[in-house]
Amino acid sequence: MLPEDSKSQMSEVKRVLVADDSETVTTVLVTALELAGYEVETAHNGVEAYEMGVSGRYDLVILDQLMPGMLGLEIIDRWQEEGHQIQTIMLSGVDDERTVVNSLESGAVDFIRKPFRLPELLARVRQRLPG
Amino acid sequence: MNAPTIGLIAVVIVFVVDIVLLLGLVVLKAFHRRRTERHELRRAAYVATLSRHLASNEQSDRIDEAAADDDAFIDAVIDLRNVVSGREIETLTGLVDGLGLVKRQEAKLRRRFPLGQRLRAAVSLAEIGDETTAPVLIEHISDREAEIRIQCARGLGRMQNTAGIDAILERLGIEDPWVRVRFADTLIGFGAKATWPLAAYIRVNLGHDENRGVIEAIRVLGTIGDREIGPILSGVLRVASDPEVQLAAIEALGFVGGPMAIPPLDHALRSSDWRLRAKAASALGHIGDPSVNRALAARLKDENWWVRRNSAAALGSLPGGDQVLLATMRSPEQPARDAAAETLADIGTLTAARQRDEAGVATEEDILLLEYVIAGDRILV
Amino acid sequence: MIHDILAWAGYATLVYFILMQLYMIGLGLRSGAVMRRIHHLNRFGRVSEMLSSYTSPPVTIVIPAYNEAAGIVASVRSMSIVGYPRFEIVVINDGSSDETLEELVEAFNLEQVRVPYRADIPTAPVRAIYRGRGTVDITVIDKENGGRADALNAGINAARYPYALCTDADVILDANCLVGAMRRVVEDRERTVAVGGNIRPLNGSRVQLGHLIRAEVPKRLVPRMQVLEYLRTFLATRPAWSQMEALPLISGAFGVWKRSAVVAVGGFTIGHMGEDMDLTMRMHRYHIDNKIPYRIVYEPSAVIWTEVPETLRVLKRQRIRWHRGLMTAVKDFLPMTFNPKYGRLGMITWAAMFLFEFLAPIIEIVGWITIPTALALGALNTTTLFVLLALAFGFGLFNSLVALLLDESYGHFNSKADTARLIVMALIENFGMRQITVAWRIRALIGGKITRAWGNMERKGVANLGVEG
Repeated sequence: MLPEDSKSQMSEVKRVLVADDSETVTTVLVTALELAGYEVETAHNGVEAYEMGVSGRYDLVILDQLMPGMLGLEIIDRWQEEGHQIQTIMLSGVDDERTVVNSLESGAVDFIRKPFRLPELLARVRQRLPG
Repeated sequence: MNAPTIGLIAVVIVFVVDIVLLLGLVVLKAFHRRRTERHELRRAAYVATLSRHLASNEQSDRIDEAAADDDAFIDAVIDLRNVVSGREIETLTGLVDGLGLVKRQEAKLRRRFPLGQRLRAAVSLAEIGDETTAPVLIEHISDREAEIRIQCARGLGRMQNTAGIDAILERLGIEDPWVRVRFADTLIGFGAKATWPLAAYIRVNLGHDENRGVIEAIRVLGTIGDREIGPILSGVLRVASDPEVQLAAIEALGFVGGPMAIPPLDHALRSSDWRLRAKAASALGHIGDPSVNRALAARLKDENWWVRRNSAAALGSLPGGDQVLLATMRSPEQPARDAAAETLADIGTLTAARQRDEAGVATEEDILLLEYVIAGDRILV
Repeated sequence: MIHDILAWAGYATLVYFILMQLYMIGLGLRSGAVMRRIHHLNRFGRVSEMLSSYTSPPVTIVIPAYNEAAGIVASVRSMSIVGYPRFEIVVINDGSSDETLEELVEAFNLEQVRVPYRADIPTAPVRAIYRGRGTVDITVIDKENGGRADALNAGINAARYPYALCTDADVILDANCLVGAMRRVVEDRERTVAVGGNIRPLNGSRVQLGHLIRAEVPKRLVPRMQVLEYLRTFLATRPAWSQMEALPLISGAFGVWKRSAVVAVGGFTIGHMGEDMDLTMRMHRYHIDNKIPYRIVYEPSAVIWTEVPETLRVLKRQRIRWHRGLMTAVKDFLPMTFNPKYGRLGMITWAAMFLFEFLAPIIEIVGWITIPTALALGALNTTTLFVLLALAFGFGLFNSLVALLLDESYGHFNSKADTARLIVMALIENFGMRQITVAWRIRALIGGKITRAWGNMERKGVANLGVEG
């Protein structure tokens, strides 16, 4: 059963959730990710991001730190507390010193600083979603 | 003509004015309504188009010539430039150049009015101008409008145009305070390139114009953090008599670091001016050399609140400093214990102590700290 | 003889109102000139690029909280992402009887700590201090109840930074408000001791998760009248006062204060109905008396949104409280009124407060008595009466239209519905609303107990506000 499952997983289209309150960021990411062959959905605030992540429909979540409703790190903390295994890449702005320090301390978060290089971001995504 | 007639004429005038204002308001609102809606739609469309260009190398959509004069397009470009970096910026620049956008914005900046358009042009050039824009920006560093001066400096900083450094330094001492700090921001952006011009500027201007430019220049040097500048800063600290200059130099030395920085800071730690002591304590914390732990520990008993607090915070970030702070919890002086307790909470020692306490493995020091924190007496009235 | 007295009293009343409107017109035009700079910055919307962590002085956001369990966490969360590089949040739990403290401790993972708390201003006893080590730099002071002024004083005591933004728990901060306010500080670091902000009624607007999505004009008349009123105050009055360096009042919902200056004058006055006006005036007096160079300014781009009373009942309580505060202030600062030692504050703006705000109800009552009587006795020339009334109305309308035009630089209220609502309001507010306000002010003068409004207004909590009817 397992080999069949993993085979089907490998040929299935991966779904990515992009969560950022800036429409520019979501447009860029959606465009780039769709062109790279992923299925993309968006969330525009912290609460939306949290709830959509919990639904389990996504193989990867790209999460902005500063969003109305809930901060990125808080969302990740809550997911962990509630036992959801959700792959995340966090986007943080350059001035977010405290975020960077905290996320480094917790060690569990992969993050990319804004402004980002698209190829680098896509490479990270591919790394997390093999196949 | 009698009084009531004058009165009636006045009434008519007032009402006519009112009606004009009312109509003007209605027209203005309708105009803004249409303009905003359209602007937003175009901006979103441009962002989508540009994103497609960035995501793939195919020339998918052509961008209309009209975009060069469209504020929505400029907004879209500026937004994207703050989101992506690296090769994507070059792609964006290429697209922008193809439209001759930069030249048009330069022309707008050169005009004398209207202010709104000139300001927009300045911001656009600051964000997306190329090297050929530098002369225009340098020309307008002394524009009569403060915001335009600021944007020109920003642009030069983004382009890393070194001629801009001199242009900005020339104005540093005479500028308005708000513009001056924004210029300083830009100089920081230049990084190491600005180090020696700044040092030269300080040497020449120390003691002039109430040191306004000099203080800002010192702060910039500290933020850039080039260690080679340490001896110069120590020198400034030694010869300056203006306490504001001394404070700036102390802070900068803390960021720049290096073993040469410690002796003058140690000396400042014993100054009669509490501000210098407090700044020196912070600076020593930044440098990270534990040889100063003893000296900082002595400052925990300083008469001044800031000195105590900064010394504790510094110890919190130095190797072995947390031991010093824990030891301070046995001190008979409450101010010292308060300062130490705050830092111990900030660096997580308090949390760890609580966790050990809950697990039943609290040490004597943990208990001392916890008891102090949860002291039954009210804190202060 | 009686005829003459009545007639003159009647005319005088109307002339008084024309003078008041002319003063407002003067302020309005002057404010217009000041707002030009704001106009460009606002239309730009790129203020956030205009500040960096290096240059900005750090700020403590002080939030007094009494029984705010419903919305305090959401409120602090939304304030924590205000666009400003370095700031801390200090919430003061003023002896709440509900779970305000518990909500905060749980949401932000706070632990009890001991810090070198400087009791520079005496307050009710502080029970404990809590801090978090998470993403939000938040300190919570748990203290015994003492009222809003007392809570603010405790917040100022606990502030670690040189500037304190005193605000309220149910306020929504615009992303750029701190940048705008602190810019005024940086412009003149040594002298600036306080910066006032621009308050806008939140009612009727679309809010989501503690953030304003879209501003809309409220459908109900009571809050709608206040929208216009606030526009007149914050766009057409305060900029002029600020430019004259004679700002008599900084609103409690948004005031950035230099900590050392607040401590020097002894903090907010406890039990005062208008503690913000009181502190502002005391700041002026202290600095002028002691010949310390200073300035108190108002920043139109420092925008915040707050709930205003939806019903006449709640509005009445608020206005009576305000007028009581004004009465106390008039008494306390009487020596400054018309006193040239206090410059334009004493001779113009505070004098105008006294004449046109404080005395207004009394004069208005005189008018309400004498004019109908004089009319009945045939003592008034109807043409003159008509002219005076028409001028008063015309000038009042002018002021409202100026305020609405100045509001254009903010870009709100552009829909046809909103435009219509505002214009209709401008036309009808002179018939009815003014008169009711006068009645309340008379009530305030007469005395008697009013329930303390601090904490009594029904709080919906910032996160739970939706589209209102």
